[in-house]
Amino acid sequence: MNIALRFWSGYVRTTHRWPIIATIVPFIPVVAIWSIVANSGMFPRAFFPAPVDVMRSFISLTYKGILPDYLQDSLIRLLFGATIGVALGIPLGILIGSSRLAHRICWPVLLFFQAIGDIAWLPILLIWFGFGLTTMTFVIVYTVLFPIVLSTVLGVQSVHRDLARAAQSLGASPMRVLWEVTLPGALPNIITGLRNGLGYGWRALIAVEIIVGTSGIGFMMFDARRAGSTVEILLGMIVLGTLWYIVDAWILAPIERATGQRWGLVTS
Amino acid sequence: MKTLSLKNLRKTYFDPYAGSQVTAVHDVSLDVEQGEFVSVVGPSGCGKTTILNMIAGFIPYTGDEILIDGNLVKGPGPDRGVVFQSFALFPWKTVLENVGFGPKMRGVPKDERDRTAREYLALAGLSHAADRYPNELSGGMQQRVGVVRALANNPAVLLMDEPFASVDAQTRMTLQEELTRIWQERKPTVIFITHDVAEAVFLANRVVVLSKGRVLDQIKVDLPRPRVWDHLIEDETFKRLSAQVLQMVRAA
Ligand SMILES: Nc1ncnc2c1ncn2[C@@H]1O[C@H](COP(=O)(O)OP(=O)(O)O)[C@@H](O)[C@H]1O
Ligand SMILES: [Mg+2]
Repeated sequence: MNIALRFWSGYVRTTHRWPIIATIVPFIPVVAIWSIVANSGMFPRAFFPAPVDVMRSFISLTYKGILPDYLQDSLIRLLFGATIGVALGIPLGILIGSSRLAHRICWPVLLFFQAIGDIAWLPILLIWFGFGLTTMTFVIVYTVLFPIVLSTVLGVQSVHRDLARAAQSLGASPMRVLWEVTLPGALPNIITGLRNGLGYGWRALIAVEIIVGTSGIGFMMFDARRAGSTVEILLGMIVLGTLWYIVDAWILAPIERATGQRWGLVTS
Repeated sequence: MKTLSLKNLRKTYFDPYAGSQVTAVHDVSLDVEQGEFVSVVGPSGCGKTTILNMIAGFIPYTGDEILIDGNLVKGPGPDRGVVFQSFALFPWKTVLENVGFGPKMRGVPKDERDRTAREYLALAGLSHAADRYPNELSGGMQQRVGVVRALANNPAVLLMDEPFASVDAQTRMTLQEELTRIWQERKPTVIFITHDVAEAVFLANRVVVLSKGRVLDQIKVDLPRPRVWDHLIEDETFKRLSAQVLQMVRAA
């Protein structure tokens, strides 16, 4: 009992100093079980590879430059689409959030199009734009756009009316009110929307790459299926999960917390 | 010199759900001299906020005219400083930046507006809080910032809509005393709206009693300054005036 408590205390203190350990430790049993099952001979290795096989494939594909290239392709597509999505989504959200008329007109339409999932657009997009970058970008922009618009609307509406009035009474022009009050007031929500949007966009991108890609992580996984390489499929899945975890937990979530907490807009 | 002049002000709201008109302000005329402190008092729903919002330019008005230093009001502007019940401080700006916001909008360079802001913060005893964010301050301190933020912009009129209604009773008395002190030092023209009769009498040179969208009566308050609750609470004149106003408000 005493030893268990001492061990626990040591673990808590260690993870407090190196939080990354707290992230890795829970995966140790997952990888261990996977390793045991793969080595037990229950399934053929080519059908159900072990962690070492995936690791070996990771090293060899990285060494050959295929994995870094594909990863770069995927990330650039995501970034490109997300940038367009942000550039469209924030102004649209501000318009809908601040004008009651715009809200009345746009809101139902917005919800309708949001209900059509991104992938549901693929058949018509393939006819219109074919297998290529335009189709992929369209899907990512479409996926990223809605969370950003909806969060921006929410953010704009959450800014207390008195704040805009105070700014006006201190001499702020409408543009200054937008810049000094509306945008900062909506920022925590906008960042939440961006975080969600990037998450959805990343998943949608992989799906689209599987269908229309000629490169990228999604394409790598689909191509591996054709070659019957389960190792590369699993590798793709692990890369997707790891990468998104890092981006979300280490970059996006801290930014989101920092903006809201500092100003007392979000508690805890 | 009349700083503020309201002529036959009216306001009718349209209620789209009931499909009917609600007249909040029937016919209000009022002149305020430069450097006057006018309290407007009346029961809840008598149209106080509506009048203030029209003067501030937040809602369109009907009636003859609203003049500030002879100029017709057309929307919000820096000649009318507003202090809100909700404080309305910018949460993402420090206290110093909040107070310097008005000068910033006028294009005053940073050094100069920081100096102005610090001067006004000192006036409210807030020098130590300059670099803090509003959410780090108590309600009383936040509203002190709200008051000096409006003053630092040098408005022709200071409009205050129940500014002390959301702080505790003790703090409220302190804020009221501080406001009379600041008024004595700077002599701003003030319209102070409240439903609290004692507060109205304590602060003002003149109390305007409002009832159902009309001015019921006006009473001059010639109490000596500086005004301090410890003295006034026992003062016969204060008690008589308060009772007089209270009677009118209750009959309203
Ligand atoms: N935006 C509005 N729409 C419809 N009616 C309103 C609106 N604002 C105020 N009123 C009505 O006008 C009257 C006066 O309100 P208000 O000016 O807020 O009074 P006070 O500030 O004295 O409590 C009330 O009857 C209120 O219900
Ligand atoms: Mg009111």
